[in-house]
Amino acid sequence: MDTFFQQLANGLTIGSIYALVALGYTMVYGVLKLINFAHGALVAASAFIGLTIYATIMGESSSLLAVIAIFALVAAATACLGILLERFAYRPLRQAPRLSAVVSALGASLILQNGIMLVWGPQMRIFPQLVPQVYWNIGGVVISLLQVIILLLSVLLMAALYFFIEKTRMGAAIRASAIDQDAARLMGINVNRVITLIFVIGSSLGAIGGLFIGLYYRGITFEMGWQYGLYAFIAAIIGGIGNIPGAMLGGLLLGLFTAFISGYISSTWADAFTFLLLILILIVRPTGLLGERVAQKV
Amino acid sequence: MSSSLSRLGGAAFLLGLVVLPHLLDSRWQAVAITFLVFAVVALSQDIVLGKAGMFNMGQALFFGMGAYTTAILNSQFGWPIVATIPVAILVPALFGIILSAPIVHLRGDYLLVVTIGFNIVFVQVLQNDLGGLTGGPNGIFGLDSLALFGVTLGSQVAVYYFAFVVLLVTLGIMANLERSKAGRALHYLKQDPIAAESIGINTRVYRIFAFGLGAGIAGLAGTVFATQYSAVSPEGFEFLQSILFFSIVLVGGSSIPGIFLGVFVMFILPEIFREFSTWRYFVFGFAMVFTMILRPRGIWPARFGRIPAFLVRPHRDG
Repeated sequence: MDTFFQQLANGLTIGSIYALVALGYTMVYGVLKLINFAHGALVAASAFIGLTIYATIMGESSSLLAVIAIFALVAAATACLGILLERFAYRPLRQAPRLSAVVSALGASLILQNGIMLVWGPQMRIFPQLVPQVYWNIGGVVISLLQVIILLLSVLLMAALYFFIEKTRMGAAIRASAIDQDAARLMGINVNRVITLIFVIGSSLGAIGGLFIGLYYRGITFEMGWQYGLYAFIAAIIGGIGNIPGAMLGGLLLGLFTAFISGYISSTWADAFTFLLLILILIVRPTGLLGERVAQKV
Repeated sequence: MSSSLSRLGGAAFLLGLVVLPHLLDSRWQAVAITFLVFAVVALSQDIVLGKAGMFNMGQALFFGMGAYTTAILNSQFGWPIVATIPVAILVPALFGIILSAPIVHLRGDYLLVVTIGFNIVFVQVLQNDLGGLTGGPNGIFGLDSLALFGVTLGSQVAVYYFAFVVLLVTLGIMANLERSKAGRALHYLKQDPIAAESIGINTRVYRIFAFGLGAGIAGLAGTVFATQYSAVSPEGFEFLQSILFFSIVLVGGSSIPGIFLGVFVMFILPEIFREFSTWRYFVFGFAMVFTMILRPRGIWPARFGRIPAFLVRPHRDG
């Protein structure tokens, strides 16, 4: 039973990271109908940006204020990257065939990933410990302060996003653009601005996810974007692509699934089981667990 | 370009490939073999992606499956390389059919992710040394040389011509596909699956057929690859390779000259500019983005059949 609760805690931590990253995929897919392949590389970039900001500005002090400043600066920098990405790699291809946009997204992802390599080097870098190492032992189950922070902060951010999308005028504009861009434009919505906003939100949430990856796993590499990006995208599909609560649910479920697979079966086969789960879900429920929210044109 | 001129260009290109190995030293002969092998894989990817319009991002799986079939049969069971060829075509083709059957109805982007998944699972199987056959992360090495009727053809030139014959066979299949019922079915399927279904094309069967055919050809290319290096290892068939094949087809424009150009740019240019190897993918990324912005249908877009230009309406596919 100890293993169960331990893996539950680990799974929820990983799952909330997946969920944060998955939101970037699902929001972009909802409006642009495009797999934002560069999102994973963006998440990796945010961890490296965090590394540099920590080293240059926050050298010695690791007060709470400094940590918050790092998070805010990294989120802002990554959001800028996201805006550049949309402006130069995606916007010129809005009217082009779907596959052209996919290739452009893959190209952008190669640029970002190898840009990281050229700037920070190909070797693995160790992320600083920004959170004090506090552990609680609850009946044999070890939970760290970091895990609690990751889980709470993710839930908080996701709740804020949900409120923003469902209850504000800007959120309504995002939902309208996802259903029908032309109709949204006719209602006076500036769709270009909505898309920029989506990239800002998606990239900054991804940046928080990237920092969490650095804090939780410590070792960061320039290639890690593929791995986490793919898992987050799977999470988005499991929940139903374009569906924001779906991405949160999908992320948590995928995190739990991978944790239990590593805990009970074998970690060397984790990828295989994950994709098996994805294929099974797509066969049984082709639109994900909560249903996709993507307007289909026939 | 008129049809006779393009035919002349094609003949000149093939003739150039026939004499090429005698003009090169051994390092560039190896590069030329790589060009031929990857061109075959890219053409096999084109059948699935370019001709049938299915978003397949796992072609390296079938390439690797062919290579590993040859390697396992040769090293573990002592089969001569030539005898492994039919098996190295059939096993990937069969897997292509079995794997694609439950997923071909999925919409483009889902298909893309599932095929990436197949590729990743495949590499994981290779690395975990399933059944003690695949040799784990190191792969299998020390394969026999090519031998035909008791004559050992160990030289690079022999492997080059082996690859060349495989390329010719592939080009023959592609040319036939262009003019056959199956090729037309795939074309309509790509243009509009619902309309294709409504005029009586069994879209499911043809989708699976495209996967099977593409997988078989990629498997054959895998045999040549294994023969060239006398070895196979998992990293040659990672899903990054699949992404490259995927991009080559679309950047090239899904036409035969476009695909050759794409393979040249992706695999041969890096050999010429070796000192800039760390910049390779960074530069490719920009090339991919700019090509798609400037020429969304690829550098050398394919045209199908003899449809007069005024009948072809610009369309959005996918």
